[in-house]
Amino acid sequence: MLFNSYPFILLFLPAVLVGYFWLGRRSNLTPVVWLALASLAFYAIGSWQFVGLLLASIAFNYGVGWLLIAAKLNPAQRRAALIVGVAGDLLVLGVFKYAGFVAENLNALFGTGLTLHILLPVGISFYTFTQIAFLVDAWRGQVATYVLPHYALFVTYFPHLIAGPILHHKDMIPQFEREETKHPQAHLILCGLIIFAIGLFKKTCLADGIQPLVALAFDARSPTFDQAWLGALAYTFQLYFDFSGYSDMAIGISLMFGIFLPVNFNSPYKATSIVEFWRRWHMTLSQFLRDYLYIPLGGNRRGRVLRYVNLVITMLLGGLWHGAAWTFVVWGALHGAYLCVNHAFNALVPKMPSALTRPARVAGFALTFLAVVVAWIFFRAERIEWAWRILLAMTDPTQIAFGREEIAALVLVSIYAVLVWFAPNTQEIMGYDHRKRAVGVDIAVETSPLLIYGAAAALAFGILGIQSHSEFIYFRF
Amino acid sequence: MRKPFTQVKRLLLASVAFVLAASALNYVVDPLQLFRPSRLVPAAYSVDTRMQNAGLLASQSFDTAFIGSSLAIHFRQSDIDRALGVRSLKLAMTGSNSRQQGFVLEDAIARGAKRVVWEMDDWIYVDAPAIDDDPYFSADLYRRTAKGLASYLLSTATTKESLVSLLRAIPPLHAPLASVAPYLPVKFALSDVDDIYALPRNFDVSAGYNAKRTLAAFAYITDPVRSHFLGIGYDYDAMVGHFQRDAVGLIARHPDVTFDIYFPPYSILQYVAMRDASPAALKTVYEITALVATRLSQLPNVRLYDFRAIKEVTHDLDNYGDVIHHSPVVDAKVLTWLAEGKYRVDPRAPLASLDALKAQVEAYRVPR
Repeated sequence: MLFNSYPFILLFLPAVLVGYFWLGRRSNLTPVVWLALASLAFYAIGSWQFVGLLLASIAFNYGVGWLLIAAKLNPAQRRAALIVGVAGDLLVLGVFKYAGFVAENLNALFGTGLTLHILLPVGISFYTFTQIAFLVDAWRGQVATYVLPHYALFVTYFPHLIAGPILHHKDMIPQFEREETKHPQAHLILCGLIIFAIGLFKKTCLADGIQPLVALAFDARSPTFDQAWLGALAYTFQLYFDFSGYSDMAIGISLMFGIFLPVNFNSPYKATSIVEFWRRWHMTLSQFLRDYLYIPLGGNRRGRVLRYVNLVITMLLGGLWHGAAWTFVVWGALHGAYLCVNHAFNALVPKMPSALTRPARVAGFALTFLAVVVAWIFFRAERIEWAWRILLAMTDPTQIAFGREEIAALVLVSIYAVLVWFAPNTQEIMGYDHRKRAVGVDIAVETSPLLIYGAAAALAFGILGIQSHSEFIYFRF
Repeated sequence: MRKPFTQVKRLLLASVAFVLAASALNYVVDPLQLFRPSRLVPAAYSVDTRMQNAGLLASQSFDTAFIGSSLAIHFRQSDIDRALGVRSLKLAMTGSNSRQQGFVLEDAIARGAKRVVWEMDDWIYVDAPAIDDDPYFSADLYRRTAKGLASYLLSTATTKESLVSLLRAIPPLHAPLASVAPYLPVKFALSDVDDIYALPRNFDVSAGYNAKRTLAAFAYITDPVRSHFLGIGYDYDAMVGHFQRDAVGLIARHPDVTFDIYFPPYSILQYVAMRDASPAALKTVYEITALVATRLSQLPNVRLYDFRAIKEVTHDLDNYGDVIHHSPVVDAKVLTWLAEGKYRVDPRAPLASLDALKAQVEAYRVPR
């Protein structure tokens, strides 16, 4: 089920909210069970064939977690339990997500005739990473004992289940345990509704609105210079509003239940360096990769060269996490290389004189955005050679179409650029602070007609913009 | 605690009010002219032909439907009317398949078309989703079902178009907005129905259509990396089934309608590309077109024309923008041939022009 669908907005969400708060009058645990069951139903409606896999994954990780937290094991046994747990998770992820890719490459290399058609379970990357972090923290002794319903809800919680953010047990489970979240809090419902409305508008009106222009570059056999640029920029902005809209909707829905989700998206195209970009884009994935991959690899503690190696490995795996294809590997490698250059620049170039700070930031912003656009071309293209074709077209200004379609596309792309670079983001509009568990504190949400009617318009046009064939780009990761 | 809940209710009620207001605006302005010809605001048209056709069928008067794929998309209705002495409605859709074309024609006939001019190529018979499962085609919009009307009226995209149409109706804004509309990100940007997908009148034909472009396209599609695309979709049995259902079935259901069907003049390089890179597909093309020619030429209400073997057109690569799409100069010739009845297939020898084409394809050597 998609957030941007009539059944979700008009039936599923209201019913789950009513049931949650009704049960919340009676006990502190039944609303948790209700929400976990509702999350399973949410998952089953779109992916019933993988519900068993999701439940098995929860049971397996909860069991291994119990061994690490509660069982009296010696260090070697604990280490073995962790290895079994993480290996089991990675094995399942590997089989479902990468077996086909491996077979395809073996066929290409050795001429074997392996044929594998394995469907990718929706959300597997998110619920696997979520649970790996749980196991590692349990092994580190950083996890208290949790009861199964809270753990199951932490994994299945429907606002995040299919497309993130990647949740952390230490952040979420204490919220699920709190009694206050089981009672309707009008302020949080109102703020959640407004954030959801903004997200829905971004998705159905902005992301889906620019999506047709993407074909200019990516579906054309030989795009011209302007078509390649416009198509690449259209995809850059489509992905932005798609992901940003989803992140807002997830936060807004969760907020109605009284639960604060982590911010996953913070105006990444305003970044003035690639390091800053990754602190603003898919922030929970960046944190996961940092805490559970980059730092365990040695991070920056083993010298400059190994730091760069670790960065590249981390980003390569981050690329592969997004999808089993060489285009994602190239995308990850590019970002690894960008990060290495960025860190090397910071290390080698002396601090800017204050007079040059502003021009340097502008140059950094432009260079970062350009680098990100180039990488998105590999991210979106079906094959590496198709991405090359677009890149070559983008460097050949002798071939220009610039007809009606291209001029109209330029107008639209320019509007999106203004929105991306100059409009405040949702956290800024709503004063959302995940760490402080605060939202709308300083902006007088309840007494601001502009905000109420603006959100009503956004919700209305977001609903009117719903199309039957509009998935989230991160849906299949 | 009361106040925020009041605001939640206010927000939700206001949303409902916005939804209702937007759909009312869409009904009144009706940018697609689905309910009535445009009166309140100046009429405007879109090049999104799969949607636009639903509005054209409802709002235009016509006695002849002109349909086809991208090969027929640049024709102007006024040229068709002048050449054939009819009142035509152009319903061509780029990349359309026989299901879509048959469905639209059925509606056109139901709304009064007595004659159909049909640009028919073999490609339209490749496999395609059922008309109700086609994500690029809203059959419900043509049928005016509740779902189709709701998708039109309860739509942000329609509301955007309605608002622009309203702005355009304001006298001081009318002329400037009408002139810049084609360059704005709005669908209903054309003020003349004749301009739907037609090339601009000042279009540089020699720059858009020339042998250099045609040969470049030939090199591109025959590149070993992608030459297998030439054979995709050519499943003889499936194509025969689609032909029977979408063409023969439709024609048989409407014996009182005259069908002028023509095979368009591809450049010879299209067949040569298949000859060299995908001979199995070429064999299927020959077989399917032999069947189509034989079957259609025998139907009493069909006049079949085959323009594929007209050497002076198909071998002159300056007539093409790629290996299949011909220039507006050839569009004009097509209309002349149709008006004069030239190159009509003789039911007694339906394969004569195909045999001529085969011989040309065999003999042709690509210029180096």
